[in-house]
Amino acid sequence: MSQNFRLENVGFINRDKKLSFKFNGKKYFGYEGDTLASALLANGVHLVGRSFKYHRPRGFFGAGVDEPYAVVQLYRNNETEPNVKATEQELFEGLEAKSVNCWPSVNFDIGAINNFLKIFLPAGFYYKTFMWPKSFWYRIYEPFIRKAAGLGVVSTKHDKERYEHKYEYCDLLIAGSGPSGLASAYAAAKNGASVILAEDKPRFGGTLLTSDVNIGNQSGEDWANSIISELKEMPNVTVKNRSQVFGYYDHNMLVMSEKVSDHLPKTKKYHPKQRLWYIRAKEVLISSGSIERPIVFGNNDTPGVMLSSAAKEYLKVYGVLVGKNPLVFTNNDSGYETAIEFKKNGINAIVLDSRVNPQSEIIDEAINLGIKIKFSYVVVAAQGYKKVNSADISKISDDKKQLGTIENIKCDCICVSGFWTPTIHLASQSGNKTQFKEEIDAFVPGVTKQNETTLGAANGVFTLEETLKSSFSAGQDLSKKITNNDNKISFPNVVEKKSSQHDKFWCVPLPKGKSYKRFLDFQNDVAVSDIEIALKEGYRSIEHVKRYTTLGMATDQGKTSNLNGLQLVSDIENKVVPSVGHTTFRPPYTPISIGAIVGREVGKHSKPTRKSPMHSWHEKHNAVFVDAGVWLRPRYYKNGNETLFEASKREAKNVRTNVGVCDVTTLGKIDIKGPDAAELLNRVYTNAWLKLPVGKARYGVMLREDGIVMDDGTTTRISENHYHMTTTTAQAANVLSHLEYYLQLVWPELNVNVVSTTEQWAGAAIAGPKSRKLLQKLFPDIDVSNEGLPFMGYMKSDLFGAKARIFRISFSGELAYEINVESDNGNFMWEKIIEMGEEFKIQPYGTEALSTLRIEMGHVAGSELDGRTIPYDTSLEGLVSKKKDFIGKRSLERKAFTANDRQKIVGVVPLDKKTSIPEGSHLVKDAQAQLPNKKLGHISASCWSVEHDNPFSLAILKDGKNMIGEKLFVMSPLKNKIIPVEIVSSHYVDPKGERVRS
Amino acid sequence: MRSQNEFSYGGDASVKRPELNQEISDQDWDNFVYNRKSLRGKHLELWQHISGCRQWIKVERDTGTHEIFNTYKADEASS
Amino acid sequence: MQNYSIFNLIKNAFTNHQNWDLAWKDPTPKKEYDVVIIGGGGHGLATAYYLAKEHNITNVAIIEKGWIGGGNVGRNTTIIRSNYMHDENALFSEFGMNLWRKMSQDLNYNVMFSPRGIINLAHSDAQMNAYARRGNSMRLNGIDAVLLNREQVKEIIPMADFSENVRFPIFGGLMQPSAGTARHDAVAWGYARQADSMGVDIIQNCEVTGFDLSAGKIKGIRTSRGDIKVKKVGLCVAGSTNILAEKLNMTLPIETHLLQACVSEPVKPVLDRVVTFGAGHFYISQSDKGEMVMGGDLDGYNSYAQRGNLPTLQHVLTEGIAMMPFLSKLKMLRTWGGIMDMSMDGSPIIDKTHIDGLYLNCGWCYGGFKATPASGWTFAHTIAQDRVHELNAGFSLNRFSTGHLIDEKGLGTKTWIS
Repeated sequence: MSQNFRLENVGFINRDKKLSFKFNGKKYFGYEGDTLASALLANGVHLVGRSFKYHRPRGFFGAGVDEPYAVVQLYRNNETEPNVKATEQELFEGLEAKSVNCWPSVNFDIGAINNFLKIFLPAGFYYKTFMWPKSFWYRIYEPFIRKAAGLGVVSTKHDKERYEHKYEYCDLLIAGSGPSGLASAYAAAKNGASVILAEDKPRFGGTLLTSDVNIGNQSGEDWANSIISELKEMPNVTVKNRSQVFGYYDHNMLVMSEKVSDHLPKTKKYHPKQRLWYIRAKEVLISSGSIERPIVFGNNDTPGVMLSSAAKEYLKVYGVLVGKNPLVFTNNDSGYETAIEFKKNGINAIVLDSRVNPQSEIIDEAINLGIKIKFSYVVVAAQGYKKVNSADISKISDDKKQLGTIENIKCDCICVSGFWTPTIHLASQSGNKTQFKEEIDAFVPGVTKQNETTLGAANGVFTLEETLKSSFSAGQDLSKKITNNDNKISFPNVVEKKSSQHDKFWCVPLPKGKSYKRFLDFQNDVAVSDIEIALKEGYRSIEHVKRYTTLGMATDQGKTSNLNGLQLVSDIENKVVPSVGHTTFRPPYTPISIGAIVGREVGKHSKPTRKSPMHSWHEKHNAVFVDAGVWLRPRYYKNGNETLFEASKREAKNVRTNVGVCDVTTLGKIDIKGPDAAELLNRVYTNAWLKLPVGKARYGVMLREDGIVMDDGTTTRISENHYHMTTTTAQAANVLSHLEYYLQLVWPELNVNVVSTTEQWAGAAIAGPKSRKLLQKLFPDIDVSNEGLPFMGYMKSDLFGAKARIFRISFSGELAYEINVESDNGNFMWEKIIEMGEEFKIQPYGTEALSTLRIEMGHVAGSELDGRTIPYDTSLEGLVSKKKDFIGKRSLERKAFTANDRQKIVGVVPLDKKTSIPEGSHLVKDAQAQLPNKKLGHISASCWSVEHDNPFSLAILKDGKNMIGEKLFVMSPLKNKIIPVEIVSSHYVDPKGERVRS
Repeated sequence: MRSQNEFSYGGDASVKRPELNQEISDQDWDNFVYNRKSLRGKHLELWQHISGCRQWIKVERDTGTHEIFNTYKADEASS
Repeated sequence: MQNYSIFNLIKNAFTNHQNWDLAWKDPTPKKEYDVVIIGGGGHGLATAYYLAKEHNITNVAIIEKGWIGGGNVGRNTTIIRSNYMHDENALFSEFGMNLWRKMSQDLNYNVMFSPRGIINLAHSDAQMNAYARRGNSMRLNGIDAVLLNREQVKEIIPMADFSENVRFPIFGGLMQPSAGTARHDAVAWGYARQADSMGVDIIQNCEVTGFDLSAGKIKGIRTSRGDIKVKKVGLCVAGSTNILAEKLNMTLPIETHLLQACVSEPVKPVLDRVVTFGAGHFYISQSDKGEMVMGGDLDGYNSYAQRGNLPTLQHVLTEGIAMMPFLSKLKMLRTWGGIMDMSMDGSPIIDKTHIDGLYLNCGWCYGGFKATPASGWTFAHTIAQDRVHELNAGFSLNRFSTGHLIDEKGLGTKTWIS
């Protein structure tokens, strides 16, 4: 098909590069520099979609970010992307797109039946029905509604595209490259300020590209190009097109999304699809311009009805006629510019101007060009279903209440101009309280909140000369504050046509006996009648109106509808617009890809992965890993076809009979130094620390101030004023912050320094009856006898040349040692242990065996210290000093914490000694009791006791201390299990703790 | 100026921990552990530069607008 | 009151919907009420409704500073569930589930409660065990819960990340099939309409500026629209609790924090369940309109600004993509912030106070929406009978002093860590 609506010499497209593309399966051609919208319009295609609720035919309404209709499904590089605005998507060779929300096709859409049912579907109709029968909502009505709603289709395949982040600081961030953006950027750049100039469109210049003005004896476009070229050459300036500043956050942090590859058939290798910029700016200049607002009339959603400025942009930028028999409907001078552009290209437009007898230069020019103008005339309704074919027009009375005789005139498009709405989103997001400006019937920014300055049309200034003047001086003044330079720029001579006052008129009354839908929100199908119903029913706050009718909640975020909605509410409620107030502007200004917001932290990189220095050894030896926070730890080492259960049993048994080695690098390690280190420990831990001798370790428990156990671990006195604290893997970071908090803020008088040494030391625990023999082999020069290195003893030594620390501590309950070497030597240590341990039948063991060992010993871990237990609950009350004060002690006196029947840790053994007890089960007295069945406690950890060869669990049980010997039931309804059990001591193996001391 | 991401919040800085080894009434202890004014407007609060120098600092910030008025070192008196 | 039904909808269509009644009136405040509920949010409106319906107390006013339903009832992610571990929360919420199930019919207003089910994903055996503890507790309390293995999860939500390139593989999940979502605004409006019809005065744009107390008893309130004499006052203001408490010289175990949420652009149905991520804090569901409704962590500092910052949302959405990588291709359409009354153990307070005639309802953290009916019902009972009901007996104000804490997450008093 040929491009019948393409002009020959107009526009900035590259006619030397013809591009083919497909829309709804049909092949078309366009040119490089087109958007999908301009290329379709060049081919005379107006019907692009269906509306959300009534499935009415929809065309193009705008030419950019404000587009409410032309939302398509895009296919690019074997991926599909929903809800792409055709007015923003640049054309590339091979582009494919489809209409959304219509079935079977955009031309014949079954859903359009809603259009005939529309009298039954007013605002909020769904709140009043679909309630009977009760079960039908979720089963019948809702699935139907869900299917009908939604726009495009999202693929659930993984996104192959790459997104990046960039962090920038600058003196001035300038959002928008129209006249005010260019002028302020130029002035600031000349003053030596670092400037980022952002433009959301591919081309710089904003309205200068389409308006008939002259700056310094150049056309607006030429002036824009010369300024941009100069700015691009300056080292202190970053100029970015396809970049939307969409959010103004706290402390002058702004976020911009740059479309790096969306305009290309596929993303280049190592390039991102999009890049998100976090920009911290000293000053922010908002030069985001304004958006034309529609006038509301009957069937104003028909394809072919569009903003007059959009029609002009399609013509001047893309060389595309949106119609060959256009009607322009305006309440201000802007409509004439469009009519004149048509005329210059041989197209005769008719202008309907709602004003009585306006006078201005541009009207004179139109008259001189022979353009037909009808004053005091309005479009009453568009006619045509899938495309405008005529318009019902009429004279309107001066008070705008009475229509005259309806006439029908032929036309193939209606270009509407209802004056301009400043784009104040960024200023409002910054916290600026906007104010209503009567002269322009719109809101403008009020008093500056953060360091933002709004310029030009965004500030309600619609003359070029004033815009340029204020922008040059803003750029100049703001940069001067920062750079102290004062390079004056001579102000260019500006030629523009003077405008006359617009008409405060935004909605054409309904003719008698007609019930045309007059739409405010085009995508969500919100009509004037919907707002009227909402108000009639008492939904009178503007927020209620918005929520009840969904006005402004579509993907265009109400850019063309909100202000007219406000006008309507204020008219009906008989209030002035500012007292109705607008709904809050929140980021993002326009929908932003979630991929871009997230950046590179996807897949395996969504969180860091921490590995011990011995990780590759574990990998080579068939370790199966488990996530422990962000650490990876060997869970077990798989031997042949072993299951987790078999392997962990083998590993645990080997510890109990021979010797095993476990990687304990992930335990948190904190170095504590200073003359008051012992005092700090004494305040942090519940037990006494002042008398711990050098060369000794001690187990300690620390509480939060609310008395709940925070963490446990051993701390060793390395030398007089030097301690080595260990924490659990999970709490390492919290404990360090906790210590720093008390040292810096609560007890600054304590002379202590703390620093994390988790990464500095690699740790291996060797445990089992043969561990001493192994230790002796590893350290032949030291005395490792029970006397030389007693339980809880510590020694420094040398492991075949590597500096090592040896701690005689045990989590497994066996005779055990923990060896630390500097991380770089971790693998060396590990291999030495394995090599030397061979004769003692050493085996590595993972976290699963470690759990088994600690459970049958009754040692507590994270599943008992779950942020809800106090020392008593886990039988650690022996470690709670009665003599001294410590963090959280006062909380332990509370009633619930000292209750006689307080919960306590116990052991649980199934009566049949066979049935494994699932973790997370609960203990009850009567398994057959009615629900809710009273729970007495829960199973915190379970294992297969390798010592007793039967299942064993730990439980936190109400009144646990008096329950030993009781028979209860373990219930796991989730797993359909009821297990009769006996309550025993939590110390199931070696209750006197002789082994660790042997 | 450092990114917010580097800092971690620490709550109301005006809350004073009672001295150790003192008799403390239930009310005073609850006020320390649990009860907070948490009002709109100026709020003196603690932040730790957790992904940086690890210093705790006091920040005077508006809880209504997020504006920051002042920052103080841990041992510095806030006025 | 007009009945809402398909028949009335059709009937009204022929008069162009010009004859619908006001959903609620706009009265001027009277000089005196038996009960004043401060806060026209979901909980306040529900309280007034149940005061009238269950206790026949209708000389009631709801005093709202802004517009009704403008707080968290209109700013949440609409999730309704009772998948709690602790009995106090579980039994209370399950009582609420029963009210949800019949709410549309009860209120004659379609609140669109959809029991689409919620799945909490687990990413380790330890987490599976923690979920089992909670799920078993639910079952023993008579609440539905199912423990799913990896394959079962995959069957229900195949779009979650089951690939090799995943940081935290899915081990399984805990599902409450009867949990779901509802249309949040409709809940507020439905309660308002019924309360209004039973004689409750809904007074909007009226700010409470002070309280009149005498001899430890509440006598009246002062408002921007005049003084009102009153016998009983129910404080039901969620994120503004601290501000009103100060006017009463009370300091509460509550901090006010900011929580953001966002929605994507609408797309055709792809996700029928509510799903939460287990290796972080992220939740998602798809609305009837097609938007993905998403939320996660608090911004993490005391705040009354209903606006947050992008790094928090970035963090939340990072977890979203880690859970469901396809989200990357969607666009974020709207973001908003709500002000949360975070209690020091994560559970609410519904109780009498030391002031005679003053009742307190707060501490909802980010779980207030689902609690709307049960909160209103129990609060109405507490106010009407001047004693707590067994369902809210655990939510006492003095539990912090006695140590009877209800800490579902075990995080203690650092309310900003979520």
